[in-house]
Amino acid sequence: MMNGEKKQKQQPDRRGNRTILGRTVFLMAIFGVVIFIPLLVRLYDLQITNHEYYQELAISQQTRDVAVTANRGTIYDSKGTPLALSSTAYDIIVSPRDLNTVQENYQKKAEAYQKGDSKTAPGPEPTDEAVASGLAEILGLDKDTILLRLQKDTSYVRLAAKVEQDVNEQVMAFKLEYGLSNALYSTPTSKRYYPHSSLAAQVIGFVNAENEGAYGMEAYYDSVLSGETGRVVTAKNGNGTEMLSRYENYYDATDGNNLNLTIDATIQYYCERALEKGIEMYDVQNGGFAIAMDPNTGAILAWANSPTYDLNNPSQVTDPDTLAELDTLKATYGEDSDEYKEALGSAQLLQWRNKAINDTYEPGSTFKSVVLAAALEEGVVSESDTFSCTGSVVIAGETIRCSDRKGHGTQTLAKAVANSCNPAFIAIGQRLGAEKFYDYLEDFGFLELTGIDMQGEAGSTVWSRDFFTGPYGEASLATASFGQRFNVTPIQLITAASAVINGGHLMQPYVLESITDADGNVLQSTEPTERRQVISEATSEKCRTILEGVVNGGTGKNAYQAGYRIGGKTGSSETLEDDHTIVSFLGFAPADDPQVVVLIAFDNPKPVSPGSNYTAGGYYISGGVMGATRAGELLANILDYMGVEKQYTAEELSGADVLAPSVVGLSAADAKAKAEAAGLTVRTVGSGETVTDQIPIQGASIPGGSEMVLYLGETKPTDQVEVPNLSGKSPETVRQTLSSLGLYMKATGVSDYYTSSTIAAGQSIAAGTMVDRGTVVEVQFMDNTATTAGAGF
Amino acid sequence: MTVTARKMKRDLTVEEQLARGPMDLPFLMLTLMLTGIGLVMVFSASYATAYYDGVVAKHDPTYYFVRQALFGVLGIVLMYAVSRLNYQHYRWMAVFALMAAFLCLILVFTPLGFGKATTGAQRWIRVPGLGSFQPSEVAKLGVILYFASRLSKRSTEKKKKYDLRKPSGRLLDLLDRIGLIELVPYMLILGAVAGLMLMEPHMSGTILILVGGAAVLFAGGIKLGWFAAGGAAVAAGLWFIMTKTSYMAARLAIWQDPWSDPLNGGYQTIQSLYAIGSGGLLGVGLGNSRQKFNYLPEPENDYVFSITCEELGYIGAAIIIILFALLVIRGYWIALHARDRFGALLVVGITTLVAVQVFLNIAVVTNLIPPTGISLPFFSYGGTALVIQLVEMGIVLSVSRQIPAPRQG
Repeated sequence: MMNGEKKQKQQPDRRGNRTILGRTVFLMAIFGVVIFIPLLVRLYDLQITNHEYYQELAISQQTRDVAVTANRGTIYDSKGTPLALSSTAYDIIVSPRDLNTVQENYQKKAEAYQKGDSKTAPGPEPTDEAVASGLAEILGLDKDTILLRLQKDTSYVRLAAKVEQDVNEQVMAFKLEYGLSNALYSTPTSKRYYPHSSLAAQVIGFVNAENEGAYGMEAYYDSVLSGETGRVVTAKNGNGTEMLSRYENYYDATDGNNLNLTIDATIQYYCERALEKGIEMYDVQNGGFAIAMDPNTGAILAWANSPTYDLNNPSQVTDPDTLAELDTLKATYGEDSDEYKEALGSAQLLQWRNKAINDTYEPGSTFKSVVLAAALEEGVVSESDTFSCTGSVVIAGETIRCSDRKGHGTQTLAKAVANSCNPAFIAIGQRLGAEKFYDYLEDFGFLELTGIDMQGEAGSTVWSRDFFTGPYGEASLATASFGQRFNVTPIQLITAASAVINGGHLMQPYVLESITDADGNVLQSTEPTERRQVISEATSEKCRTILEGVVNGGTGKNAYQAGYRIGGKTGSSETLEDDHTIVSFLGFAPADDPQVVVLIAFDNPKPVSPGSNYTAGGYYISGGVMGATRAGELLANILDYMGVEKQYTAEELSGADVLAPSVVGLSAADAKAKAEAAGLTVRTVGSGETVTDQIPIQGASIPGGSEMVLYLGETKPTDQVEVPNLSGKSPETVRQTLSSLGLYMKATGVSDYYTSSTIAAGQSIAAGTMVDRGTVVEVQFMDNTATTAGAGF
Repeated sequence: MTVTARKMKRDLTVEEQLARGPMDLPFLMLTLMLTGIGLVMVFSASYATAYYDGVVAKHDPTYYFVRQALFGVLGIVLMYAVSRLNYQHYRWMAVFALMAAFLCLILVFTPLGFGKATTGAQRWIRVPGLGSFQPSEVAKLGVILYFASRLSKRSTEKKKKYDLRKPSGRLLDLLDRIGLIELVPYMLILGAVAGLMLMEPHMSGTILILVGGAAVLFAGGIKLGWFAAGGAAVAAGLWFIMTKTSYMAARLAIWQDPWSDPLNGGYQTIQSLYAIGSGGLLGVGLGNSRQKFNYLPEPENDYVFSITCEELGYIGAAIIIILFALLVIRGYWIALHARDRFGALLVVGITTLVAVQVFLNIAVVTNLIPPTGISLPFFSYGGTALVIQLVEMGIVLSVSRQIPAPRQG
């Protein structure tokens, strides 16, 4: 070997060496330089050119960005009663992928147990079937649907959203029983809860699945209520475990603020009850609304709509008729059909709708209060003016009839208002003139939005000034004078009417009293805003007096409530459809110093037969019969609740309630004197010297002038009597019937009991009920004649 | 070695004197720098994985680092020792090295080998008490040693005489003249090694050995035409494998769009790109990688360079690439100045292997080429691989010691 090498050195293969050198230099160029160039270029492309792209992707997988839900604020009524609250609820999540792992592990465990490798007996087997049926039972879902969803190759299936705490606990117990570990879990979320379910539903509104306000105050003040969602950004490793790192960042959630509404839950309840009662009694087909407002500030006290719905389940249609129709559609076309879905959607929209602001209507005779105020303010009429009515008047070649076809004859201004006389108001309108009339339409706010803090306020539909004051406006002026042929929103009407009676101040109506934070600090509060003074205090006072006359013997006499001075105006607006009337009543009380104004309307009471003016229940379709009756009762309730002191007239006083004094133990003479002093008459039973018992018992509230029975040694009968059916009977008959049974009558309703047309319309204790002797039965009377029906036509 | 070391200088043979010459310092420094940087990066890239791993690393963050460091020290000691050896002895050892390589490649299919169950490829041999190594590492060295040794004797071999009267003799003469006869042993060796390695299978190792062997043959003076033919054959083979087998077709689809299978086939590539891309110009800082926290699988191994790019940025990555390039260039420089053909060819083979391995690894982690399991020299975790690499560097250094000093004047 050594020799060979030496030989090689001695005879160097120069050509071969050159080849090796040349080829090595070539390799050096390739492997030392050229191959590294694409690497540097590629790295430049990844790290410099596309740096941000990859960085973003990397960071999005490396960090966890968790939203921290802010607590949504509470909505309170004016007395601090919560109307909308948030509570914790849970979403139930299943991970089908993890369930597979759980099932595999179960098999291993079961095998180990069978072989004897493991001592612990496996629990129930977590098959898809078992999981689906268990969860179906707890969550009230369809088992097959769950089973289908468990087949999906995913790790996130939300089985149920926003379940209650107790359901969640059941789910967790189920999870433990079957050892489902991370195949089943729940995440806390926030759920909106409405403790009064349907109360003021259209005002409060509701939230959608994402807890964002969808309707009503929830939507209008969503930004106030929702607060600010916080974030927690944390770093996590590839297994999803969180790590401490400098990428950690917290952004605190800011809880939402609370709304304090002007709505009073009690008044709201009264309004809803009045509305529901009327709708039921009068066969009202299209629902209605009732608004109560403080005329001095514009604060909305209550706002009821019908049909309504349960805020806790807003998509459930509540109206039974609509529901029946929907069921028919569902049966005919199926649940997924367009027909059904469309009908369901429109039914939902209808019940969510706040009619009194989203829709307009022809105000009818209630509008006459505004015309009256304008005419008095302009001085074109005075209280001493008289108007004559022949039952109809011809304007621009068209005959416009009065509600009383025979005519009202000659009447004073007050009487014309009380009679709701159309020819008289046409004359008043003409005296005002189109220009002035239109000015007042503007001044009373009928051409603008009221600016109330509510969603979807609609605009009115009123003639243009040019048309109204032009040569073709004559008929329009005439119809406008009694509130027909133009459309306004109910909120515009009640706002204008408030100005008529509150001294002429047109207020901006509002629903939000104040915004408070979680600690109760007031962040913002609404000051009543006066838009303008429309009429003078003096004119307003005249209007109040005249409008009180409407209830005191006029078309609105059904609104009468003993002890309260109620003023108002009836309204019956015909629509362009046949037999479709909107009956309404605008009432306020006390008449000398209004504290509350209400507007109640029933849309489309069903006539017993086409063309008839009566409903199946025998009620005349008019604002005077329907609106006034309900409004009067409503006002009495509200005034009672507000603690407004009753003021009795001399006649009323004799019928006013008195408290039965205690006379037991007194001598017969002393007892008689004491009872009479309290305004009661006395009848004695027995022949003893001292009173041993009395009917009614001490402290019972009975009408003044009622008879008190004194027992002088005789035993008081303790048997009960059956309350008779008083419906349709005259006041005198009712009193005699009750008296003979030892019961007391308390009359409510119209003031003048003794006309032939006054009949009992309702009683506080149902016929057939057994009651103690001496019980007071409240009987409601109404005047049921056509002449009181203050119809626009 | 020990015997020669004790001899007085005047008693040394010329070769022995030359073997005591100075090592090539630039090459040594580059090797040490890359080993050092690689060790730091293994620590940085591996500690999260080690911390989360309760089975192998037992939650010890320094698990991989300590092992790699120990092997690194061992490797450097061996490198120095090997550099002191007279490489001329490898001439006769080469054939035994090749035999050892074949033995290893066969042993891998015996119960001593493993890897099939966990990675799907039978690439490792367990050595009780020492750990495990890839026979392909031995095969690389064996092939290069043998090729260099055989080729260095090429010019001294007598031309064979064939009986030109017989047709077979004329044919053989023709084949000899075009250089095919002398190629036969090389082709047989390469074919056998490649065949055995493809059985594991070990695609990247096969490529590496083919390229390393080809480089030695190329530098050794084999006619260029054969490289054209060989290149064409390899290209055809690759084309066939890539297009006609469903396994490779699927991998190619993932290579072209890793996001087409983001959770399985494309996952590692995507995570690697996230790591490299989010590094930017200056990187997120040494130790600050986020991708190593269980996002990028095996960050201490084949994908250690991705984490390096994330932490040190383009600047750091480019510096490391340039260091590799300088190491490769210096390697060829040593080959050019080597005392003899054997040394030159040996260094060409080893240097080419390093260069190709660096290229393939970085090309894979940047998704420049379809993914294949190939480690980055001096960086990737793997004790025996590091030791073998450093021993190879020791061989290059031992060649550098015998470079004749420049003539005076």
